[in-house]
Amino acid sequence: MRRYLLRRASALAAALFVVSLLVFVVIRVLPGDPALVIMGTEGSPEAAARLREALGLNRPLLVQYADWLGRAITGDLGRSLQYDVPVSSLILSRLSVTVPLTLLASFFVVVTALPLGLLAATHHRRAGDYVAMVLSQVGFSVPSFWAGLLLILLFSVKLGWARAGGFDGWGQGIWPAARSLLLPALALGLFQFAALARATRSAVLDVAREDFVRGARAKGVPEATVLWKHTLRNSMIPVLTVIGIQLGQLMAGSIILESVFSLPGIGRLALGAITARDLPVVQGVGLFVASVIVMINVAVDILYGVLDPRIRHE
Amino acid sequence: MAALVLGVLLVLASIAPAHAQQGRGLVVQVPAEPPGLDLTASPASAIAGIVHYNIQECLVKVDRHGQLVPWLAERWRMPDPLTYTFSLKRGVRFHNGRELRAADVKFVLERAANPETKHPHMARYQNITSVRIVDDYTVTVTLAKPDASFLLTLARQGSVIYPEEAVGTLKSAPIGTGPFAFGEWVRGDRIVLARNPGYHVRGLPQLDRVTFRFMADPNAALAALRAGDADVSGFGLGPEQVPALLKDPRFQVIIGETTNDVVLAMNNARAPYTDVRVRRAITHAIDKHEVVRGAMFGFGRVLGSNVDPLNPYFVDVSNAMPYDPARARKLLAEAGYPNGLDAVLKVSPQYYYTVRTGEILANQLAKVGVRVTIEQIEWGQWLSRVWKDADYDLTIIGHAEPWDINNYANPKYYFRYDSATFQRLFAESEVTPNGPKRRALYVRMQQLLVEDAPAVWLYVHPHLVATKRGVQGIWKDLPIPSMDLSEVSWAK
Repeated sequence: MRRYLLRRASALAAALFVVSLLVFVVIRVLPGDPALVIMGTEGSPEAAARLREALGLNRPLLVQYADWLGRAITGDLGRSLQYDVPVSSLILSRLSVTVPLTLLASFFVVVTALPLGLLAATHHRRAGDYVAMVLSQVGFSVPSFWAGLLLILLFSVKLGWARAGGFDGWGQGIWPAARSLLLPALALGLFQFAALARATRSAVLDVAREDFVRGARAKGVPEATVLWKHTLRNSMIPVLTVIGIQLGQLMAGSIILESVFSLPGIGRLALGAITARDLPVVQGVGLFVASVIVMINVAVDILYGVLDPRIRHE
Repeated sequence: MAALVLGVLLVLASIAPAHAQQGRGLVVQVPAEPPGLDLTASPASAIAGIVHYNIQECLVKVDRHGQLVPWLAERWRMPDPLTYTFSLKRGVRFHNGRELRAADVKFVLERAANPETKHPHMARYQNITSVRIVDDYTVTVTLAKPDASFLLTLARQGSVIYPEEAVGTLKSAPIGTGPFAFGEWVRGDRIVLARNPGYHVRGLPQLDRVTFRFMADPNAALAALRAGDADVSGFGLGPEQVPALLKDPRFQVIIGETTNDVVLAMNNARAPYTDVRVRRAITHAIDKHEVVRGAMFGFGRVLGSNVDPLNPYFVDVSNAMPYDPARARKLLAEAGYPNGLDAVLKVSPQYYYTVRTGEILANQLAKVGVRVTIEQIEWGQWLSRVWKDADYDLTIIGHAEPWDINNYANPKYYFRYDSATFQRLFAESEVTPNGPKRRALYVRMQQLLVEDAPAVWLYVHPHLVATKRGVQGIWKDLPIPSMDLSEVSWAK
């Protein structure tokens, strides 16, 4: 296991290096100049040129990258060009929105999609299956931003039960903060709910056709035991893979939902930073998201071994 | 999922409605988060909208009617055209408690003119040859040459007065003398200002607290207003949202003028737009009233030149180059384009009106043979390619700065309009004191712009603000791109 973890850690470092290089190159290949964006049309190109010099953007690209990389290795991700605060503190402050939002959406997805997928599989080609598939089809078909707007219209505008947007922070209490995240989490999880319900149904149906399941039934094992002990556990490997991928997708999907609900999360930070060409922030967020996704993959790999003892990482 | 939604519904139903507090605070939705809060580092209107007049003030103020009025300077004298002696209002205190003195004015003006500061409008201050402190409350500024715009410069956002000891925090926590003190900035979400209890204008401000909440999506902003999460939708209201809000008794809509001139710019240095006949043809081909109806739901005043109606020297020349497609076709033929021409219109969806205005223009121009391809580009690219490098045929953008006719006197500006006559007129207007003579120069400049047609001035972007009923004191017009909330209050 230790060797496995070491291997994954070096893969993580390599991935981060490639991501940082990619983000650095892409954001600079794009036409657009942070100094011009900060100045806007009310300034002059000459003033923007002075600002560019002050920000150190006139230096050769390699020098800028080496400088950034050198500091990043020591944990210093630089300062935001538009906010003038350390990038790391900016990212940390946004985690208090994005992490709970992603976890809440995942929670919604898991507690609804797994039972629904299971119901569909155990009622294959019967009413339960059709209902589940129609629900998941709806989840696939409704874009998350539209779902978000519909939820706002219903729960915030018509009923006045939830906030239409914004986030006052956890300092105001757990419930007010969580209330700001409920609707976006529902909208965010809708598509993944549909995908996971279908994946669960398909995985359970596959395993249910295996010989060992039929064997268990043939020797008279009770149906509940067949389902929970033999079928479900063995179906969990592909389901877990889907959940792992979905966690990353939920984080990416939060870019749109955070904009619709005006939440100060990582997604909106990234979007604003790209628009403003706030290069240190774009790089910092890129690194952070890449790290999280690699770590989710590692966690999923480890969980494989827990679910199926035949899988070992040595 | 349905069961879960139901569960969430039940939980939410058990709690009280989440409406913004109707007390003495105000939640204002704004579409853009400012890129820092330093007015001496960036001219972005998103900064001015929050900071200028609310947190920081100037010696002179542009009031809600567009008039220059004494502010931190309670009066001034001009013994000669090069000398201004300002008498400061006494008892004005910065938010850190220290009294405003003449030394602060000297520091601010000298810092603005210093190249090291990288002030976005440094040139405006480099005409100052000396700033002399007469006493703690009197300061004399001497200019190298007469500058008719000097008092206006002192009223602009780049001339805010701040204490020397707070220069280091201008970008993140500015200090000034305004009616509100900076409270907190939760990046990505909101900026909160708190009432300045020692404000130098008695009885103001009336609000205890102002929260500017950043909501870029216009639909989400409208939903926030309707759900009670915002009291005011400022700057971000789309014209298509106005008719429904006007019918809703819970809200009031303020419809006024701004200095934001929406312009179809033509690259005057690139053929065929080097030919004045082509530029005039394009002007004649555009039915501006239809543009305002189609793109702006009828809100916005049709323009004829680059001086907005809030400017005292405005003359209505909107009929000087009327909609006349037959004349447009004739002019194109005379210029050597009897079969029309192809043009690329680069617009950035950063500003909603550019794309929808562009679509209507493309349709109108097609009728006279100008085949327009619309290319949507992201804002950062638009700034680099169009605005900085002038790599474009046609583009649409709003010019929000007041008194920005100077752009046409700059041949390097992205219009690439290079008229010696205009440059001479503008230079003369800058050294001519305000009065009939300067007015005549402004009238002539507007007429010259109509004749030369370096751009098509389409309409003035309207000032559209929706508020909850009971909010009073919001400026109807916006003669300067700031949202002064000092006089705003809730009706009793």
